[in-house]
Amino acid sequence: MGYDINFGWTGTIGNVTIGATKSEGGTRSVSYRIGGGATLPFLEKNLQANSPPLIAFELCDNPVYWSPIVRNYCGDLLDDLPEWTKTAEKTYGADIIRLYLTSTKQRNFSDLPAVGKAVETVLSSTGLPLIIEGSNEPKIDSEVFQKCGEAGQGERLLLGTAEASRYRSIAAAALAYNHSVIAQSPIDINLAKQLNILLREIGVQHDHIVIDPYTGTLGYGFEYSYSAMERIRFSALKGDADLAMPMICSAIDSLTVKEVREAEPAVQDEIAATWEFYTGIAAAVAGAEIICVRHPKTIGLLRKAFDSMKTGIAPMGGQ
Amino acid sequence: MIRGQKTMTDVELAKKNGEELLKAKVATIKNSFSYEETAYHLPISFALTGIQVHDPKAALDVFSKTGSNPIVAAECILADTTATKGREQPPYTGFISDTVIRKLGYSLVDGSILGLALIVGKPRGADAAAAICRELQEKYMLTFLAGEIVPTLTDAGVKLGLDYRLIPLGSTPQYGIHFVDIVARVAMMFGGVTPGDTSRLLAYAAERAKAIVIVFPGMSDEDIALVDGMRVLGFPILSLDGYSGGEWIHSDADDVVRVGMEKKGIRVNVVAIPIPMGCSPAFEGKSIRKEEMYVEFGGGRAPAFEILRMREPSEITDGKVTVIGPEITDMKEGSANPLGIIIEVSGKNMRKDYEPVLERRIHNFVNYGEGSWHVAQRDLIWVRISKEVVAKGIRIEHIGKLLASKFRMDFPQLLDAVSVTLITDPEKVNVARKEADKVYGERDARIKGMCDKDVSTYYSCTLCQTFAPNHVCIITPERPALCGAISWLDGKIAYEISPSGANQPIEKGPVINALTGEFEGINRFVKKASHGEIDRCSLYSVMEYPMTCCGCFEAIALMLPEVNGIMVVNREFKGITPSGMSFSTLAGTIGGGAQTPGFAGISKNYILSDRFLQGEGGIERLVWMPSQLKEELKERMVKKLAEAGKPDFFEKIADENNATTIEDLTIYLESVKHPALSMKPLM
Repeated sequence: MGYDINFGWTGTIGNVTIGATKSEGGTRSVSYRIGGGATLPFLEKNLQANSPPLIAFELCDNPVYWSPIVRNYCGDLLDDLPEWTKTAEKTYGADIIRLYLTSTKQRNFSDLPAVGKAVETVLSSTGLPLIIEGSNEPKIDSEVFQKCGEAGQGERLLLGTAEASRYRSIAAAALAYNHSVIAQSPIDINLAKQLNILLREIGVQHDHIVIDPYTGTLGYGFEYSYSAMERIRFSALKGDADLAMPMICSAIDSLTVKEVREAEPAVQDEIAATWEFYTGIAAAVAGAEIICVRHPKTIGLLRKAFDSMKTGIAPMGGQ
Repeated sequence: MIRGQKTMTDVELAKKNGEELLKAKVATIKNSFSYEETAYHLPISFALTGIQVHDPKAALDVFSKTGSNPIVAAECILADTTATKGREQPPYTGFISDTVIRKLGYSLVDGSILGLALIVGKPRGADAAAAICRELQEKYMLTFLAGEIVPTLTDAGVKLGLDYRLIPLGSTPQYGIHFVDIVARVAMMFGGVTPGDTSRLLAYAAERAKAIVIVFPGMSDEDIALVDGMRVLGFPILSLDGYSGGEWIHSDADDVVRVGMEKKGIRVNVVAIPIPMGCSPAFEGKSIRKEEMYVEFGGGRAPAFEILRMREPSEITDGKVTVIGPEITDMKEGSANPLGIIIEVSGKNMRKDYEPVLERRIHNFVNYGEGSWHVAQRDLIWVRISKEVVAKGIRIEHIGKLLASKFRMDFPQLLDAVSVTLITDPEKVNVARKEADKVYGERDARIKGMCDKDVSTYYSCTLCQTFAPNHVCIITPERPALCGAISWLDGKIAYEISPSGANQPIEKGPVINALTGEFEGINRFVKKASHGEIDRCSLYSVMEYPMTCCGCFEAIALMLPEVNGIMVVNREFKGITPSGMSFSTLAGTIGGGAQTPGFAGISKNYILSDRFLQGEGGIERLVWMPSQLKEELKERMVKKLAEAGKPDFFEKIADENNATTIEDLTIYLESVKHPALSMKPLM
């Protein structure tokens, strides 16, 4: 131990604040400031002083569209959004709650007030900062994001997900109600940069953007994501301000890959969590500062791993 | 003071008088006042000066600080009037709350509202006014109304309200001031304008706020002073009739919305391209392999070219796509076919100089298609269309539609009309290509005569970073981009058209090595643009820190240490070169954005440049070129060599007819006493 690894970086990852406490104008019990890295992940001189990546637990307002594995494990919780949220915070131990407004997936969805209500429900069920995944349908983007933004005014939400062809509504909601934006590009550093520039030109400041490089699941293209993330981080550290934002990763396909889907029922939860865990830990090593998971069991695994990386002491089974 | 139909109001005179009247009124404000539901006080005064105006003293202070600005006066006077007389009854909205502005601002950023319009005055007839409002609604504008326009419209049965995007602010044109306070608040909420930062506010209003003002007759001098004051914010003031003089734009009812939107650069965008395949930059990096392709065009297997020409507006029909010759359905699967892509454009800001720059975009646009692929440029293009999209119904015609739509979408400021002709008939492709060749020649001639030492600014090109992420082309007057499609002049123009695009100006800075063409400014830029990968770049050397290569180079220059010389092979040459490798093998070795000492991707024209091989001792290093390339350059090269006092050098350059291996080449070079053999060792 104790290598002095100096790459001569000139850049630093910018900071993004997620969540707002009472003194910051919101109602959250905690707020996070992510970013600020000046070298590669886990190579900081003083590892102890650095916060490990945050773990976000993903849930949704219409569980019809959710993984049966999570349904089996969590049971009726899925039908009770406030309870599910509370359990995610208190029992599962998540750092952030990420709400997917899956209700907008319904054909001809038009119950827009329900969108605002779902956001409010989750806000009142937890003190954790929130990530809100808005509309699934470009036609209703404008109204959905307006509602999300309004419902979370003052809470410094992280709103998802902006893409090059679809970013105006999210940007507008972020600007109007002071939230931040997840900017997703399809595993391509140049498109990531382009989107950040587009967002900047519309008025979203760099300290309100989190990059989502798009995460393929382990064994299903994760290596491409890893490489894109590495290059984004390199560019940022070399001084490219348009890429110097923290990253978020969510390998949402982890629970649907064949190995997990077709696992023996007795070990399915374990395999699911393992799959999410290894994707998540690899993403963290590549530079992600928010790791999103859907299986509750993954949270503990990640937490343990992050702690051990911080102390340099391998968990059980390590060398 | 409503004027009769025949009387013309002189805007200049009325404005002067109106300003005096407003000035006198500001001084008479006695009470304190404030609007509810806003955190921005009197928003215009607050944005301009940072002062929170709520009483007569502050009002006078801001009025004098802003140089007796009539807008500030009107804002203070109306706030005072509202405080004393109360708000007007519905439908009039009066001052609009922050909550509503936040939603409006959202729609502006979101694009569901394209811009803002204010209509003031008294229309002579309801029909024209209603028609203008309807047109504004159809064009996604949010319209505010102040003065007698409101009763005129309601009497004619026009529905007003936020839902109809027609908002009646108040009963007199003075309520038009709320239009400005909305823009001021949007600037502070969304534009990051800090209160008191006047210059940023003005810049925001002029560049970002898409606002226009339409003036009907019947305005008092004070109203005219207020409306004219809005010009400072960059809002075009369009008057319909009854006004003369001043700097208002005189228009008529049929045209006023179009003229106003055009003046302010508000465009109704084409959003979807009506073709049966996806079209997005996300597809740009994909390639279509031989097994996946249905048909291909050009690529050395059939004649093909592309050209973009500027025409008179009367000569072209916007969006028209013509296919001359067989469609895809008439072509054999897996076949190579001829293709001519002719794009004709017109636009009032278009210039002939822009042609080659726009032409280069054909490359990107075709690649945006989910199942269409494009490489190279001019008469070297190579296009493939995949089986998958042909099965979905993609035809040649759709490639034309894609191009026509993308050009309109991406260059709205420049192009008003685009038409596309695609030729697949072999005879006609050949005829049209001859004409295109002439144009390419003219373009190349235009830059001739300019020297690198004459300019201090070169241009970069990072267009290919989608394929080769760390590649940076440096374009100088004597060294065109390695693809041959962008000259220094093109780079300059591309930068003018799109200042944040792929072509950026670079101050070359102090010289590090004049012979190899290494400059401090260039190195600094290359380091940054290559994401830190490349530290040094010499513009005139193949051996030391040569420029990186993407994959688009027209030719490759590479050293042959055995003969102490440099050979050049062009893309069209299919055989094995004396280096033991074919063009495609070489291209695979040096592309992708790498810097490979001893190898350089170059354009064909660069061979004729005085800077070519300067770092290695000049043109006399050139030992081998394919005969076809020699033929292509012969006329110009022989002339140039004669002028340089080397009339017999051209014949000393070997080709595949006298040397296909390094051994043959050595023998040939010795037999002709090639100067490279006796030059300073390359390595």
